[in-house]
Amino acid sequence: MSYNMEDSQNSIPASVSANKLRAVPKGGEAGQNAIKRLQTELMQLMTSAAPGISAFPSADGNLLTWRATIEGPDDTPYAGLTFKLSFEFPSNYPYAPPTVLYRTPIYHPNVDFSGRICLDILKDKWTPAYNIQTVLLSLQSLLGEPNNASPLNGEAAELWDKDPTLFKTKVMDRHRDLDDD
Amino acid sequence: MPAAVASRWQQRRRRVFQSVFQTDASLPTPSSTPSIPFPDQGQPFGGPAVSSNVHQYGTGAPSTTIFSQAATRDTLQPLQGQPFTTSTPTTLSQSTIAAASQSQLTQPFYPSIANAADDQIAYDRAWHVVTARIALPSSATADDSFGTLAPESQLHLGSDVEFYQALNSLVHAQTVLPRAAHTNDIVAWHAQQVRGHFTQHVIPLLAGCVEEDSDYPVDGGYVGIDGGENAKRGSQKGNDYERHMVTVMSSIRTLKAALRLYFYGLGMLVRGFSRTVDGLATEKAKSDAETMALRFRRDIHALVSISASDQLIRSIRVVLVRLVSQVLGIPVMCSGKHQAQSTRPSPPHEGNLEALAARQRLHELAEQLYNVGLGGERFQILFAEIMDQMMSAFVNGAYAGVWAVQETIIPVTPGGLSLATAKSSSSPCILSLGDWVENHFSRLSYQVLSRISPDVASPVTLADLKTYLSLALGRLAALRISELFDIVLAWPSSRGALDDLRATVTTSARRTKLTSSFSRALQTRLLHPGHSTLEILETYIAIIHTFHALDHSKVLLGHIEPSLQLYLCQREDAIRIVVTGLLASPEEVLAARKVSETKKKKADRNQFLTPAMPGRSSETPGTRSRGDSSADASSSRPTSSGTLVELALLLNDPAQTRRVTPEDEELDWNDMQWVPDPVDAGANYKRPKSEDVIGTLISALGSEDVFIKEFTSIIAERLLGDPVRFDQELRVLDLLKRRFGEAALQNCDVMIKDVQDSRRLDTAIRRTWQQKKLEHDLLVTPAGPASRQNGGDYGDGSDGTQYHARILSRLFWPSLEREHFVLPQPIVEEQRRYELGYENLKSRRKLTWLNQLGQTRVELELRDRTVCVDCSTIEATVIYAFQDENDPGGSNPVSRSADDLYMQLQMDEDLIAAALTFWTTKGVLRRVQPGVYTVVESLTPGPEATDAPAEEGVMEGEADTEEEAGDDSSRRQPTKPAVSAKELERQTMYWQYIRGMLTNASVSMPLGQVAMMMKMLIPDGFKWSNEELLDFLSEKLADGDLEIVGGKYKLVKK
Repeated sequence: MSYNMEDSQNSIPASVSANKLRAVPKGGEAGQNAIKRLQTELMQLMTSAAPGISAFPSADGNLLTWRATIEGPDDTPYAGLTFKLSFEFPSNYPYAPPTVLYRTPIYHPNVDFSGRICLDILKDKWTPAYNIQTVLLSLQSLLGEPNNASPLNGEAAELWDKDPTLFKTKVMDRHRDLDDD
Repeated sequence: MPAAVASRWQQRRRRVFQSVFQTDASLPTPSSTPSIPFPDQGQPFGGPAVSSNVHQYGTGAPSTTIFSQAATRDTLQPLQGQPFTTSTPTTLSQSTIAAASQSQLTQPFYPSIANAADDQIAYDRAWHVVTARIALPSSATADDSFGTLAPESQLHLGSDVEFYQALNSLVHAQTVLPRAAHTNDIVAWHAQQVRGHFTQHVIPLLAGCVEEDSDYPVDGGYVGIDGGENAKRGSQKGNDYERHMVTVMSSIRTLKAALRLYFYGLGMLVRGFSRTVDGLATEKAKSDAETMALRFRRDIHALVSISASDQLIRSIRVVLVRLVSQVLGIPVMCSGKHQAQSTRPSPPHEGNLEALAARQRLHELAEQLYNVGLGGERFQILFAEIMDQMMSAFVNGAYAGVWAVQETIIPVTPGGLSLATAKSSSSPCILSLGDWVENHFSRLSYQVLSRISPDVASPVTLADLKTYLSLALGRLAALRISELFDIVLAWPSSRGALDDLRATVTTSARRTKLTSSFSRALQTRLLHPGHSTLEILETYIAIIHTFHALDHSKVLLGHIEPSLQLYLCQREDAIRIVVTGLLASPEEVLAARKVSETKKKKADRNQFLTPAMPGRSSETPGTRSRGDSSADASSSRPTSSGTLVELALLLNDPAQTRRVTPEDEELDWNDMQWVPDPVDAGANYKRPKSEDVIGTLISALGSEDVFIKEFTSIIAERLLGDPVRFDQELRVLDLLKRRFGEAALQNCDVMIKDVQDSRRLDTAIRRTWQQKKLEHDLLVTPAGPASRQNGGDYGDGSDGTQYHARILSRLFWPSLEREHFVLPQPIVEEQRRYELGYENLKSRRKLTWLNQLGQTRVELELRDRTVCVDCSTIEATVIYAFQDENDPGGSNPVSRSADDLYMQLQMDEDLIAAALTFWTTKGVLRRVQPGVYTVVESLTPGPEATDAPAEEGVMEGEADTEEEAGDDSSRRQPTKPAVSAKELERQTMYWQYIRGMLTNASVSMPLGQVAMMMKMLIPDGFKWSNEELLDFLSEKLADGDLEIVGGKYKLVKK
């Protein structure tokens, strides 16, 4: 059993106390629940990371905007590519879905050229039981199994079935690694 | 006529004489510096030159007299104010009328003076007569005699007729000698004379009085001689007061003599003024003369008090300090330190002769000072200062460290104002202070002030008394505020002091002062690394008690708490200490009670002083000073016990856990103790229900969640450790449930139930074994060479291995790490058997063994002794490895190296090292070379290699298992030495965060931003300092996971 005692007297006090103080709930303030939930989700993501996906709050310290990364699954035209996404959480999250956009240009039947995604769980099928991880996993599987019935990119939907080679070329043409922040 | 001729002739002769000789031996007017020429016009008079000026008056230098008169008036003006100068003309004009009617009477003396010159001559003659009479002696040899003065009775004799007539003609020059062109004011002249005399003779004499005694430095009454021997110093200090007294008295004597001299002349003048001519004085003239005399007196007093030297004032101060402190019963401060501390100030007994004498003396002194003109504003200020100091000295001296509650009823002096009794509560300090202020302080100031200002009807009014009282209470409040920290330390024997504080700290300003001063004391005296968390918590409990006693509303406590709480948040062991304190066993509680009782006894012996009362002798009992009270207050705290047993006591105290529903509180109309909320309460202030030390403490330690988490882990530790009973834990759990609610402590319930269940399960498994044993002879074939210990024995045989397990529900226990090592073979067999039995009972469940959490009783049979030790499984495993498998007989003591053990047991090196050290301290192993240990078969040194039995471990072990569905082997990290499992887990998690951050949030980040993000995002708080983070990141840089680009960290792309 390792109940190791920290050398408390010599540790830097600011970090501990700052966090403890922050942990005091500020009742009634909108978004506090969302932030708490997002913190928990982040913890989950960090402790049990699923392969090929990752997400993190944006560098400005605002927990309501996140950045995520999806690696293209093997055996799909997107294999070996990584895609960056942005999450915008409403203040009543998880009772409303986040707004998710592809920031990396992607050629995909359900994603339009400005990165908007057509996915039912991000719209009317959203339930508070979903979380960032499930959304990312859904998006990852969407890469391998697009819903060609309701395409945002008709050409891609057509090519997906007709000409996988051309589709793959289009995907590679469109893809561009983001190197900004 | 012949008189006029004679006088003229005399005048002329004098002039001739004067023209030849500079000095005139027959000159009646005293002149000490006749050679100094008369100042030119425009040159100011004053200082020593005045006397030569005066001389010129007498000899009549007509061209300048008017000027000099004017100048005299001018110099008088600032001293005496407007009334004198403005009223002078009226005085003269009024007396003119009187003089006119009496002109007949004056005629016979100067009958034939008809022309201006004659008038002038007559005037000069009269001037001469008067000045010669009232002139001041020029020499002063003795302290109290400035030459001889004519006795008072002479004034009424006929020989003075000439003087009065001369005076009359001077005063009524306008009517009597209307043609005298150059006239002077005789009073002004006299004043001028006096001034000159005073400057020239009296001041040097006064200086002499002071100087002759103060050859060594005088410093405000506290004479300090550098390097002086103590004895000499002591004697000098003893004589200090006497010396100053002599100074003061001789100065007073000098002044008295001088004043007598001055008032002698004045008296003559006044008499002359008031009666003018034999008994025909009008009331008017009399009152005029009196006014004049009064004015003169005031003038002289002002002169005296202004010219009083600093040394004289200092001497007066010393004398006053001595006398006042005697009267007020304050030990003299200038005596040595040991003396000052040994006696506390207390109001003197009514019959205290010393005090009475001092009082008498003081009264005389005040009177005399007033009479000689030293009782002016300067003296009043001095007196006020001294009284102020005395009040502080009394309050500080009499009540510092006097905190005890006193039950005695204070007799209020009959006839005394019962202000104090009416006002105060029961605090003895306040009562005695009020008594002191009324009956000593105010009385003294009344007596002294009435002596130095006799014209004021009542120098100390009732309102003044109230002011004094409130001042004194303010001083007391300040004293208590400054002592508050020590008062807290001395809790609960310091309740009396709290009564004082409660009664005196009434204004919000004082409340603020109290909180700020206490917070400062906290910062400097408690909240620093020099104090252990336990001490801080103990003090905190005392603070809670004290402040609750002080202020039921908890507002004051609320003001000082934040800094304390903030600091406690930095102490990570705070929660643990609180929890262990709560869980303190009854034995510990008893021990602590005993400690506190002895402490109390000790405190009784050291007895806090009770304030001295009037009517008691001035020797107060006890000699405790403030210094050592605080010292042993802190030392006598029961820190030795190591746990915060007060909490266990409090937890069992029903008053602490009482919870009143808020509705009751609101509607409690019968609450006679109700007071409105304090003024400095916050907006959503809620009246607290009770003292609630535990609640306050827990809330101070952060959120409830944190506390419960820590409580759970400590309970887990105790449940795993103590195998017998959990009465205390259950009780504490119940009490905490009442506080936090059932749901919050559900985990603990499950944990306790687990332990209880596993006992049942254990017996159940054992029973099935027994049955099986009956059915078959053997279930498990003994395997391995060590099997003889447990071969086929299911029972509790003395040479067998008893194996018990506790089955824990993984979800409810705090995460317990699995430590991998190879158990001794017999134990593995037992485990396997136990597992089998369990799976029979509860199908589809699997046991995961947590081997390192177990406890073992080991019996080691060595050559000359048997050692029986309770130890951990790890230690047992290590010592088991020393059993020589190939040579069970044990011909040679077995040696093993740590490296061998590491290979054999697959155990963490640190644990091996710790276990080896453990056995070395038990005297079972001995280190022969670095890293190599040998069994100590025999304690007596001798031939080692004899045929003796090798030690054999009889293991009666318990291992704890974890009921676990998943496979947790994947979670295990390669153990690095000196890094605990928890720390490793933390590192892994932080690395996840950093990776996520650098993948998503920003491609590259500087260290500060990483740390900032971590602090913000990790719910439990980011435990690392920037340095630790830097170390970690550097490690990752070295591993090639990170790179630095432009001072920012970046993930290496793979």
